[in-house]
Amino acid sequence: MISLLLRLMVFFAASLLVDAAARGAAQPGPVPAGLILVKGAWSSAAGTLSSLPEDGMVSNSRYDNAYFGLGYALGSNWTQRYQGPPPSDSGYYVLAQIEPKDPALDPALGHILIAAQDLFFSAAPVHSASEFIGYIQQHLGAEYRVERAPIKVRIANRDFVRLDYLSAIAGLHWHVLATEIRCHVVQFVFTGTRPKSMERLVESMNTVTEPIGSAPVCLKDFATPDTVLEREDPVYTESRFNPVPVRIVIDKEGRVKHIHFLSAFPEQAKSIGDALLQWRFRPYLLGGQPVEVETGLLFGRAARPSVVALH
Amino acid sequence: MKKLLAIASVLLFSMALAFPGTALSQTDPGVRGGPINGQPGATQGGPLPLASVNANAPTGILEFFDNGLGRFQEQEVVSGGVNNGLGPRFNLNSCSGCHAQPAVGGSGPPNNPEFQVITQGIASGSTNTLPSFITAHGPTVVARFPFFTTSSGSPNRNAPNGGVEDFFTVSGRADAANCNLQQPNFQQAQQTNNIIFRIPTPTFGAGLIENIDDSTLLANQQAQAANNFGIGGAFNRNGNDGTIARFGWKAQNKSLLLFAGEAYNVEMGITNEIFSQERPLPQEEQGEGLPASCLNLSGHGYPEDATNFSVASNSDQAAQNAQVPSDIVLFAEFMRLLAPPVASTNAPGGSQSISNGSSLFKSIGCSTCHTPAIRSTQPSNITASLGNVTVKAYSDFEIHHMGNGLADNVSQGGAGGDQFRTAPLWGLGQRIFFLHDGRTTNLLTAIADHRSNGSEATQVAENFASLSAGQQQEVLNFLRSL
Repeated sequence: MISLLLRLMVFFAASLLVDAAARGAAQPGPVPAGLILVKGAWSSAAGTLSSLPEDGMVSNSRYDNAYFGLGYALGSNWTQRYQGPPPSDSGYYVLAQIEPKDPALDPALGHILIAAQDLFFSAAPVHSASEFIGYIQQHLGAEYRVERAPIKVRIANRDFVRLDYLSAIAGLHWHVLATEIRCHVVQFVFTGTRPKSMERLVESMNTVTEPIGSAPVCLKDFATPDTVLEREDPVYTESRFNPVPVRIVIDKEGRVKHIHFLSAFPEQAKSIGDALLQWRFRPYLLGGQPVEVETGLLFGRAARPSVVALH
Repeated sequence: MKKLLAIASVLLFSMALAFPGTALSQTDPGVRGGPINGQPGATQGGPLPLASVNANAPTGILEFFDNGLGRFQEQEVVSGGVNNGLGPRFNLNSCSGCHAQPAVGGSGPPNNPEFQVITQGIASGSTNTLPSFITAHGPTVVARFPFFTTSSGSPNRNAPNGGVEDFFTVSGRADAANCNLQQPNFQQAQQTNNIIFRIPTPTFGAGLIENIDDSTLLANQQAQAANNFGIGGAFNRNGNDGTIARFGWKAQNKSLLLFAGEAYNVEMGITNEIFSQERPLPQEEQGEGLPASCLNLSGHGYPEDATNFSVASNSDQAAQNAQVPSDIVLFAEFMRLLAPPVASTNAPGGSQSISNGSSLFKSIGCSTCHTPAIRSTQPSNITASLGNVTVKAYSDFEIHHMGNGLADNVSQGGAGGDQFRTAPLWGLGQRIFFLHDGRTTNLLTAIADHRSNGSEATQVAENFASLSAGQQQEVLNFLRSL
């Protein structure tokens, strides 16, 4: 018995040493987040907005996102261990990845993904939360079985579309709830092995708070030859060919008030930002009164034919 | 007896700390035995070509493959030999030295050839020092410095570098005349955490990857767009024509010819018809370039590798034809015509375990990026086996943010410092080192390292962690079957 135990230990110790040797004595450590050369989100502005989609955070047992006006009360045993990636070229945000503080509880409690898809830049041909959920269902692989077909539900005075599905072989369930906010589909994705625990998480969405205050009117493809009165093209310093999705807020006088680059290299953000600040739009009227407008522009290479590319 | 049990307890506790949730349960089965690349008849020195190439269709193509295989294994020298042009800086003196596992054309071998460069006299020990991170059985790597340095030697965060820093110089070799160069300061780079590594990418099935139309890749991207795993993704695009690039750890290379030309120039220092100047180190390029005493060491002018306009006549017309192209063209043909690995249906773990592992792999989200099959390649004007076939590479050929745990801080084309191409998994079962820098030989570690701040793969890694030990073992068996 002792001999077997020792042999096992020697085997594992040897495994550790072999892997340590493979890693080499000089493998670099993780790069601090602030130092990575990231193609990511940036903002610049003549006047700043108070919040951006990616600025939400988990703290004090809550997830709060001022841009979307979301507040979601979590239990005290939840945390965000890993931050999400930067927004994608097609406007997909990982807003929060929430898991139990005690990793051993993960299979029991599951985990929560809060994500958003900017409908101005979506790679999928969708225009609403309902279409988004339908697209998910349509593209589920053979490994999954739908447990609850898409259904409209009302939670915390908001309309959501809900889809539940299961992978039987993995024993994992997904409950997906999506709603529309500021021309984004915001998703809550609950994943876990125990539907009852997950249902409690869905019920806890009753704590989701209402958006506060007024946001600009969001309009897809607002920038057209009819509405753009003055424009300057960016002068690029490098040829990269990546799409650069940009959200802008246009003030009541038709000037660019705020620029948010979803995914750009710093020098691209500089070139495009310098150009955009010289653009002038025809003011958008609502009820005869000029109002602020939020819209999307795609610079660089056109990722999708449905999106107007501005070279 | 009590003492032994106490020691055992401490050791087991230590192992549990090292592999939380994994000790004494699921394990990486290790490098799969059996036929090389799952192809009976393949040998380490004789990887198999595509079926139509093996059938010599069109006539003469097999000669090009064989000739390319031969050139891929040639040992280069600086001057006075048959294959000249090595250096003045280099990492190794042949393609097949690094691309060797499990056969020529593959990834890094178990015995690191870079460890032997000085002892075998490829570089002079009087003028070269083996960097400490190159070990006898560690990964075969290239090194890059993410940033240029200040005069004090510390990284200048405002000056991105990222170019390859060759390990060795030809200085001191008998065939290198009076070329006198210093190696980069690897010790300083290590001390300032300004160094990253990359291992060789395997090239089996590379011709199929090259022959996928952009529209097919874009359609796959769109189909994966509504995933619930937090995964985005983007393509790296060629700076010349804007089409999707797909080779290299960051998908920075558009074609196999470009891949071959760059590697010949960067890894071996051999100029060619794509890269026709000797390559200084990035910091030398910022200064005065290479000294005159280190130029044209072969004595034949540039490029050192060129089309052979005059070849000996041969009664075998195909053999004569295959002599004409330059080395990089034949390297590219060799890689293009290599057959893809064939997955095992029953090893390791048996067919049921592999089948379950495959389903689990898809269920938990791995296949969102590691797309099992891309349908299909374009019609081929080269050989039938390249056209209209499904590419079972387990990759979407997109670049993804992989977080600060894997970020190497090197930006290439449209890929940022934290983005990497989804590594194709075909042939994984017979690879030794994993992830871009070969940091681990253990699949469990490789999977766990997909999870870090800023990674698109965190949710998927969480899903893997939520599987039972038995289910995880089935995923590992499946991966080692590839």
